[in-house]
Amino acid sequence: MIFLRRQLPLLITMITGLVMAAQYYVPHPASEQLLTTVTKWLQIIGGFALVLGITSLFHVHAAKIRRKEAGWAYSLVLYVGMLGTIIVGLWNNGKESIDGALTSFGWVYSYTLVPLQGTMFAILAFFIASAAYRSFRARSREAAVLLVAAVIVMMGRVPLGEYILPLSGDLSSWILNVLNASVRRAILIGVSLGAVALSFKIIFGVERSYLGGGKE
Amino acid sequence: MTFAERMLRIDRRIIFLVIGLCTLVPLLFPVGLPIKISSEVRGVYDYIEGLPEGSVFLLSLDFDPASKPELYPQAIAILRHAFKKNLRVVAMTLWVSGTGLADQILTQTAKEAGKENGKDYVFLGWSPGGSAVILNMGQDLYNAFPADYGGKATKGLPVLAGVQNLRDVTYAVSLGAGNPGVEAWYVFGKDKYKFELGDGCTGVIAPGLYPLLRSGQINGLIGGLRGAAEYETLIGQKGKAVAGMDAQSATHLAIIVLVAICNIFYFSLRRQQRRQDGMGS
Repeated sequence: MIFLRRQLPLLITMITGLVMAAQYYVPHPASEQLLTTVTKWLQIIGGFALVLGITSLFHVHAAKIRRKEAGWAYSLVLYVGMLGTIIVGLWNNGKESIDGALTSFGWVYSYTLVPLQGTMFAILAFFIASAAYRSFRARSREAAVLLVAAVIVMMGRVPLGEYILPLSGDLSSWILNVLNASVRRAILIGVSLGAVALSFKIIFGVERSYLGGGKE
Repeated sequence: MTFAERMLRIDRRIIFLVIGLCTLVPLLFPVGLPIKISSEVRGVYDYIEGLPEGSVFLLSLDFDPASKPELYPQAIAILRHAFKKNLRVVAMTLWVSGTGLADQILTQTAKEAGKENGKDYVFLGWSPGGSAVILNMGQDLYNAFPADYGGKATKGLPVLAGVQNLRDVTYAVSLGAGNPGVEAWYVFGKDKYKFELGDGCTGVIAPGLYPLLRSGQINGLIGGLRGAAEYETLIGQKGKAVAGMDAQSATHLAIIVLVAICNIFYFSLRRQQRRQDGMGS
């Protein structure tokens, strides 16, 4: 049993990892065919992951409703919304529009999801302004530098700012292209090296947490 | 409680009101300040402008309705430009919740330009797998999308004549609001299948993409509503983005003023406390 539960998955991971890493450097048609097949499988697995995610969401909220936990009514709303959308979606074969005309699924999409998501995002502007007023203070030298940079970028990114302070556009561009890009690049290189190291650890079985069940 | 303390603890509803007014008033009474074109946006525009007629242009609308205010005008402006240049437009999305929106955008701009579905443009829709879809398209586009969004077989569509995979795409632009987005398109697409790549994104993620721009991994970057307004100005068709720039200008200025006021009161309070501490000791 331990072979099936531990050693076999590690072996599959190792072989797949090494083969796919090598595949990148081999332009032979057989290698390309392998990539085509594997990526198709990845898409199929992606579809199943979606089903798994939705099932899990249903389970979590069903438990909440059954136990009448705090906020269970929201779970009920989620259930009604999801089931309703799935039924309407299946009824219309997943199509929001046919030849430019909205289907009932398209109606649900255009008149519920679009305004709801838009509203959620729009509210952010109000909260950001309130948070900036309360917390954007020059408490230290570092905070002061951040504050000045933020003000310059905010001025330089809008026509009114450039009109009031003509230099802000170029200054903002310099901050984004030089200071910001170099720091971001350093972070990206660090993250990428970390990802390479983690991949090696997974391929060679050093990192096994993805198998679940904790350390043995 | 001193005046400074009171001002620092101001009711947040007042701030909400200020922001609300700063958004609403410029929309009702637009000023129309001139918009300066940045080299980042010009990069995308110039590349599309230089493409010969009939080139394959792939537009991936990787966003959902939450990012509509910023990315919808970008998509409209780019599509107007592509249709004006008579490019063959292949559109798709990596975000399932953006499928309907992407379809609406494409149908609207195509209708406006008098373009025909299947001949001048195609909407491939969405397929599960995120970045795996890009790899699959790189290997065989018809394997990744056997049918278009309307259910028509993609093989044999005039718009896809001579296109087998991503290597046959002349230029691709990802309009992204997160992951999967332009980074996935670069890592799994451009790097392996060698096509030119540009990007459009929300204002909040634009600073994170400057390293890709500076190193030439993407040839242009349209950032947020400002980027969309610049593109609208470049194509000479002012739309929602240009209209929204006055509101964004006023809101930015309001936040700067609020931050300045808050710091003035913060320092005055700190000086007061130091003076009191000095008197106490």
